[in-house]
Amino acid sequence: MDPRPPKFDVRHLDLWYGQTQALKDVSFSIDPNTITALIGPSGCGKSTFLRVLDRMNDLIEGVRVEGSVLYDGEDIFGDRDVIELRKRVGMVFQKPNPFPMSIWDNIAYGPRVHGVKDKKALSDLVERSLVQAALFDEVKDRLHKPALGLSGGQQQRLCIARVLAVEPDVLLMDEPTSALDPISTAKIETLLDELKRRYTIVIVTHNMQQAGRVSDRTGFFLHGELVEYAPTRDIFFNPRDERTENYISGRFG
Amino acid sequence: MTNRVQLMDEMNRLHHDILLMGTKVEENLRKALQALRAEDIELAAEIKADDEIVNALQLKIEDQVAILIATQAPVARDLRELVTVFKVTDNLERAGDHAVHLAKIVKKVAGEPAFRQASHLERMAEIGSEMVRGAVQSYLNRDAEEARRVAALDDGIDREHKALVQETLAFMKGHPDDVERASRLIKVSGFLERLGDHMTNVCEAVVFMVEGRHVELND
Repeated sequence: MDPRPPKFDVRHLDLWYGQTQALKDVSFSIDPNTITALIGPSGCGKSTFLRVLDRMNDLIEGVRVEGSVLYDGEDIFGDRDVIELRKRVGMVFQKPNPFPMSIWDNIAYGPRVHGVKDKKALSDLVERSLVQAALFDEVKDRLHKPALGLSGGQQQRLCIARVLAVEPDVLLMDEPTSALDPISTAKIETLLDELKRRYTIVIVTHNMQQAGRVSDRTGFFLHGELVEYAPTRDIFFNPRDERTENYISGRFG
Repeated sequence: MTNRVQLMDEMNRLHHDILLMGTKVEENLRKALQALRAEDIELAAEIKADDEIVNALQLKIEDQVAILIATQAPVARDLRELVTVFKVTDNLERAGDHAVHLAKIVKKVAGEPAFRQASHLERMAEIGSEMVRGAVQSYLNRDAEEARRVAALDDGIDREHKALVQETLAFMKGHPDDVERASRLIKVSGFLERLGDHMTNVCEAVVFMVEGRHVELND
């Protein structure tokens, strides 16, 4: 057991899109410097849950939330700066989405928005972020070339570097490798293992084997409920709930 | 509910082969017992040939399991069932070898005086057969209770083994000329005692497969 307090402590979380309840009484906690995989069929609430953690759902009309989510002991729905929250809790999406600008500018974009002006400081940040995202060696000779010229796998690592550049604390990833080939996927998975030393990572994935490979704990969502949340090896070798068993072994049809 | 048709089909085929392997081992044990009773040396030779079938089945089954793990990426209960196959086949193969050992001794203990103690071997082989059948059935039926019942039969084999050893040692004292022949009884009794242990291993693996936890069924 990690003696440190949890990074996120979710208590009785309910979420509605209008009349439709998308999350039902979800309670669990996420330890710092761990990778948590969220799995479940489409529409089960796992991506909705992920978006709760950086309050991205605020942008959707008609969303209503009850319960609490403590981030480092503070309620994320309390009186706090949402921009600051999103800086601390970064998100990587399913499809790589580099800005139509150079590699360097892509990475420097976030820090600039947050007020970093010094060219040297920006350059250091760009390099450090690219190194951390295991991309630097591949792009160091073309930092000022368009990011859209990179391969899909490189673009996704660029997006990870872009998130790292604003020096977050948590990385949220929504199916970050579903658009990538196995080699790029393996690179990102290796990277995740490195990154968890510095960050807390929550990843939504439809790839069961990926959840098995990369995560410390896995949560299985179904119809908005967190059915089971346990160490990943228990989920994949000896799940407690019949519904988890059926889902991970491909028996839902 | 199920849409892993391919995996299910393959596992059914696998179960068929495991049943075949178990039946062959049980059959060999019964034949060995019969050979021992009748001092039938020809039957004993047949068992050796049949054991080759058992060995070939083990390899076939284990290859099939490895391919299923590689291609179907089974998890949870499916994975536990497949991992358990290795324990089942490995221990069945060893049990098959012990049937051969029993058959081999027929030639060496045949003759006068007849060993009264051989009746212990017979009972051990009978219980052993029941354990082989029961252990394989408990695997195929995913039945942890049956596995526990079968493992408990091992006590009977152990009792017979102890009795045989004691009686044979006593016999040796009064028959110094038959010590070598009699000592073979003790040796083969040891093999049958181990057969019981192998089937207990299978039963423990079945409990693990069904319940997901390791248990020690006979201390």
